[in-house]
Amino acid sequence: MLLKIAWRNIWRSKLRSIVVISSIAIGVWSLVFLLSFSRGMILTYIDKAIENQTSHIQIHNPAFINADVDKNELERAAFNYLSDPDEIEQTLSQYEEIEAFAFRSYAHQTFLGVAGKTGVANVFGINPEQEKLVTNIHQQIIEGDYFESQKRNQILISRAQAEKYNIGLKKKVILSFTDQSGTPTKVAFRVCGIYDTKNQLLDQFNVFVRQKDLNRVLNIPDQSHEVAILLKDVHQSDEIKAGIAAALPSELVRVYDEISPEIELFNVQIELSTFIFTFIFMLGLIFGIINTMLMAVLERMRELGMLMAIGLNKVKVFQMITLETLLLGIVSAPIGMLIGYISVGYFKQVGLDLSHFSKGMQKFGLSEVVYPVSSVDMYITFGVAVLLTAILGSIYPALKAIRLRPVEAIRKV
Amino acid sequence: MSIISVKNIHKTYNENTVPVHALRGVDLEISEGEFTAIVGPSGSGKTTLLNIIGGLDRPTEGDIRLDQTELSTLNENQLIEFRKNNIGFIFQSYNLIPVLTSKENVEFVMLLQNRPKKEMETRAKELLNAVGLSDKLDQRPAQLSGGQQQRVAVARALASKPRFVLADEPTANLDSKSTADLLDIMAKLNQEEQITFVFSTHDNRVIERARRVVTMVDGKIESDETFNR
Repeated sequence: MLLKIAWRNIWRSKLRSIVVISSIAIGVWSLVFLLSFSRGMILTYIDKAIENQTSHIQIHNPAFINADVDKNELERAAFNYLSDPDEIEQTLSQYEEIEAFAFRSYAHQTFLGVAGKTGVANVFGINPEQEKLVTNIHQQIIEGDYFESQKRNQILISRAQAEKYNIGLKKKVILSFTDQSGTPTKVAFRVCGIYDTKNQLLDQFNVFVRQKDLNRVLNIPDQSHEVAILLKDVHQSDEIKAGIAAALPSELVRVYDEISPEIELFNVQIELSTFIFTFIFMLGLIFGIINTMLMAVLERMRELGMLMAIGLNKVKVFQMITLETLLLGIVSAPIGMLIGYISVGYFKQVGLDLSHFSKGMQKFGLSEVVYPVSSVDMYITFGVAVLLTAILGSIYPALKAIRLRPVEAIRKV
Repeated sequence: MSIISVKNIHKTYNENTVPVHALRGVDLEISEGEFTAIVGPSGSGKTTLLNIIGGLDRPTEGDIRLDQTELSTLNENQLIEFRKNNIGFIFQSYNLIPVLTSKENVEFVMLLQNRPKKEMETRAKELLNAVGLSDKLDQRPAQLSGGQQQRVAVARALASKPRFVLADEPTANLDSKSTADLLDIMAKLNQEEQITFVFSTHDNRVIERARRVVTMVDGKIESDETFNR
């Protein structure tokens, strides 16, 4: 009966209840959409980073990774290659969960010169066919080709670099290296293709050459600095990483968020923003609920006094007010979630085109079309948050109600 | 034997500022089955006395014993329990629960007593039938006239099988016809089921039907007359 009274009480003041329910529903909807949007934006970034370069797992010589940013150390880092590529290949071949892997060589902060202009580049020495199976740089070629010619010293540069150095296909690029003996060497590479990953953070520095060309220049034949591994299922990353690390104790095995710290940062940002937005929403909601329920209690003082006079005890009065508030939350939260679910579902299909803002976003590797991503735990979090807020918000009005003295309340008009 | 025993009751409001003496030493004994009207002009203390008898207010001084229970020994929660099981209330403005139907309003009191659902339903129908509202079971208060609402309030007051019913100006908002109907119903219940009724009123129509009339002036009982009606 208390439930029945509470439910019917909600609809005594239809307009007020509809306003409260609508505002909670809109709040939940906006939260769901906003967080799905930012999650979608960040997951797109992570996916792109994985597809374009990072892959799911990488293996390095620990000394290579721990090299400081000091130039000399970075140069020496080039000689901290993987200790036994054959053993690594053998180990990785045993995993059915691995889709593909590719060996790479790498030269940190190499001087790059073109027609009098100089800059810095990170040079990746790749095996084009292997690399195709792991990352999708080959799909991002906007001009020229992806190492189709077997000629020596071909280089892939990005559109950003092409614009910066004002060079095009077939033009020469000079890269400066220091070989194992410490001798500086300048080597000319010819641009065979221009790529564009839309991630300016990566495109600004990364150039790709054949691994055998880079190894020859560095004088480290048959060696590699890293292995990039693509898994069939990203969720197995940690498990596979642990297996590989156990099999190859002398190497450093890392998953994608360890490789690119910004990915971990983004993940933390998702969690943090969920928490902050939810907290702000709850704070706003709690005052709305207190206001509404306080009005409901003050309007019904005579009735509450009568109920207490005829034998409704204080615990039940408290329960009735709390129940009424909870019902408001129980009605409104699912409406907000449903609208959120539908709108997120729609934009997940068609994408949200932010091309007006995309120039700025691309600088940070973010996509111009965002596909919002929601998750079950997001809905559970908001559902619990609304109900918790409703309970908290009902405490003060409920206390006000039980403090009424029936004899005084009955006299109120 | 007295079902209500009031001894030397005083009630003073605003004790710390400007004291208002609502009751100044009231003694009253009411026996089971009485049909008593407490009458007097506004401010004479009749509603205060009724509130104190009903355990809704506490006296500043004096003793009040209902049946065998000394009310001053009960705390707030015990008082609520006592009221629930022993006293039926009828208020001037009906005070029904607006979101419940007539039947649900009557059942509500029994629900507080944890009575079985079947029993609640049967008794609610019986009582509403007794007050002439068997065709208004599913109407909400807003769909009933003032007289009909007050009859639902009578049925509700009796639902908990109370030892006595306290009615504060029950006819104040009713027309002559509704007042006569309501008094007929209450007189019938009083005579047939020996339910004790105590009214506070200054309505002559009620006073004319009461078998005992206690007149109050300035917080004191001025006269106490019994009539053979």
